[in-house]
Amino acid sequence: MIVIEDLWKTFKLSRQQMKKRVDRRSDGKIDAVAGISFMCMPGRVFTLLGPNGAGKTTTLRMIATLLRPTSGTIKVDGIDVVKRPQEARRKLGFLTGTTKLYERLTPVELVKYYADLHGMDREKFEKRKNDLFSLLDMHEFANWRIGKLSTGMKQKVSIVRTIIHDPEIVVFDEPTVGLDVITAKHIIELIRNCRKEGKTVIFSTHIMGEVSLISDDLAIIHNGRLRFLGAYKDFQARMKSESLEEEFIHLVQEGRA
Amino acid sequence: MKTVLTIFRKELIDSLRDRRTLVTMIVIPLLLFPVLIGISSRILISQARKAQEKVLSIALISHGNAPEFRQLLREREDVNLIEDMSSDDAQERIRIDSLDALIVFERDFDRRIDEMRPGTITFYFKSAEENEIEKDRILYLLDGFEDRLRSDRFRRLNLDEAVLQTLSIDERNLATAKERLAEVMGGFLPYLFIIFCFMGSMYPAIDLAAGEKERGTLETLLTAPAGRFQILVGKFGVVVLTGICSAAISILGMYIGIKQVHEIPPELLTMLLSILEVKSIVLLLSLLLPLTVFFAAILLSLSIYSKSFKEAQSIISPMMIVVVVPAFIGLMPGMKLTATTALVPILNVSLATKSIIAGTIKAGLLVEVYLSLVFFAVLSILGCAKIFTRESTIFR
Repeated sequence: MIVIEDLWKTFKLSRQQMKKRVDRRSDGKIDAVAGISFMCMPGRVFTLLGPNGAGKTTTLRMIATLLRPTSGTIKVDGIDVVKRPQEARRKLGFLTGTTKLYERLTPVELVKYYADLHGMDREKFEKRKNDLFSLLDMHEFANWRIGKLSTGMKQKVSIVRTIIHDPEIVVFDEPTVGLDVITAKHIIELIRNCRKEGKTVIFSTHIMGEVSLISDDLAIIHNGRLRFLGAYKDFQARMKSESLEEEFIHLVQEGRA
Repeated sequence: MKTVLTIFRKELIDSLRDRRTLVTMIVIPLLLFPVLIGISSRILISQARKAQEKVLSIALISHGNAPEFRQLLREREDVNLIEDMSSDDAQERIRIDSLDALIVFERDFDRRIDEMRPGTITFYFKSAEENEIEKDRILYLLDGFEDRLRSDRFRRLNLDEAVLQTLSIDERNLATAKERLAEVMGGFLPYLFIIFCFMGSMYPAIDLAAGEKERGTLETLLTAPAGRFQILVGKFGVVVLTGICSAAISILGMYIGIKQVHEIPPELLTMLLSILEVKSIVLLLSLLLPLTVFFAAILLSLSIYSKSFKEAQSIISPMMIVVVVPAFIGLMPGMKLTATTALVPILNVSLATKSIIAGTIKAGLLVEVYLSLVFFAVLSILGCAKIFTRESTIFR
């Protein structure tokens, strides 16, 4: 479970950025995330929907301990990510659409590396690795250098890398960006599997189609603030527009006004 | 510790599969000395041999003086004597390298010699380093002629030539062969070792920080349950190892170079091999280790700060000058390891290495060098750790 309370993240802008950003504060800073609170429950997929620059990645990076919140708290399975980041990371799997891999390693070496960092014992690792490699049909290229793999193969390696330690919480930051339809389908499948296994899944996207495919809970974020928070079903029920896209645009514009 | 070792092992495998790292860490240090020693000694020897064996073209304008000298030149197989050339013509030909020398006797040379006065010979030549041997060969002929004239004069005066010698200086240099060699090569070797330490560390440092940032793998690594300091130490270990390996491999390359060149005079060879004693090597590497730690921390800091491999390269490359300058100062004659110079990183290693090769290193100064290096190494590690934990640097 992820519990977020009154989360803020403020960035100091460079001189160049200050010229470009009209939404900055008078002190030259910008609130990328401005006091958001929500909960992600086990066995459910929580979708963070928002346009580019809305604060989705910043929020997920704070959950994954890559960024430190300016204020507020994030707890993953009761562990405060600021106070005990390493412990929190043991619970997490993190995958982004831009995730790259070590091209000079083989898939087996890479996955073993992350398993070792997560402190998995050899026996458990071998079993989990074999299961996942079979599931994703990866045995053929298991010992090839990653640099020689196709984009689809690489994405499979990324998936295994993310869940090799069987994390209780999985964070997906726009995981299908730039992927072809088949590879993107693998990711959607993975998210569904995680839900089936009772994991807590938080997933960010700006693609409306993906929201309807897998979301249980939804948060719409714009300019660092939540415009909607609740069950996806409730969102559908109170939609004033005909399509999700239109409703989303309506909400975002309401926020601007 | 287990996490650090995991990171270290992975980074090492990753680096050893990188061609650029292999070239700078192994190939260049291993080949440089054999190539340098082999080529330079072969060139030197062949040039010297050529100069020794060359038939010298000497123009002589004697004005009928010194027939015995003319005869001497005629009889020599290694001299091509030209007598029918004007002075201007000969000088011009010397300038364009088609003549080796012109010897001109003053008109009344023989008369002046008969009157027991000095006779003047003008010796024209064009000397650059490569034909110094040819000049020496001609001077040797002139010296022989002078000796003959002097002997004749002493005989006419019924004097013993020994009366000229008023002072007999018996020079005895108490510097050992190692000390003499240290003055010549002692500055040059640490210069190369320092460069190798830096170069060996450079590519892995760029690849493991800026490269990882550019490739987008750093973000993923930071979400693994490893502390940032642990990640840094793991990467750091590889950078230090490659730097020190590079220096160690260059020592091995030097040994191979010495072994493969057969024309090195045996005395010099013995001296060179004495530098490669286990004790000297251990002392050298023990100095290079903290220096490499210092380099690694600075290189990693700059690399972490950089957004991309290219940016890191453009920031780090000028650093080479910062490394070369103190190492070069250590090459200068008269620069000695003192209480003050022992505190300056890089320079202190350069000077201490010189003393180690000479076998004159003082324990107190060596300790001071170690303390200075450790101090700067720790300082640079702390700086590097600070940079690595800064969000604005990682997501720059």
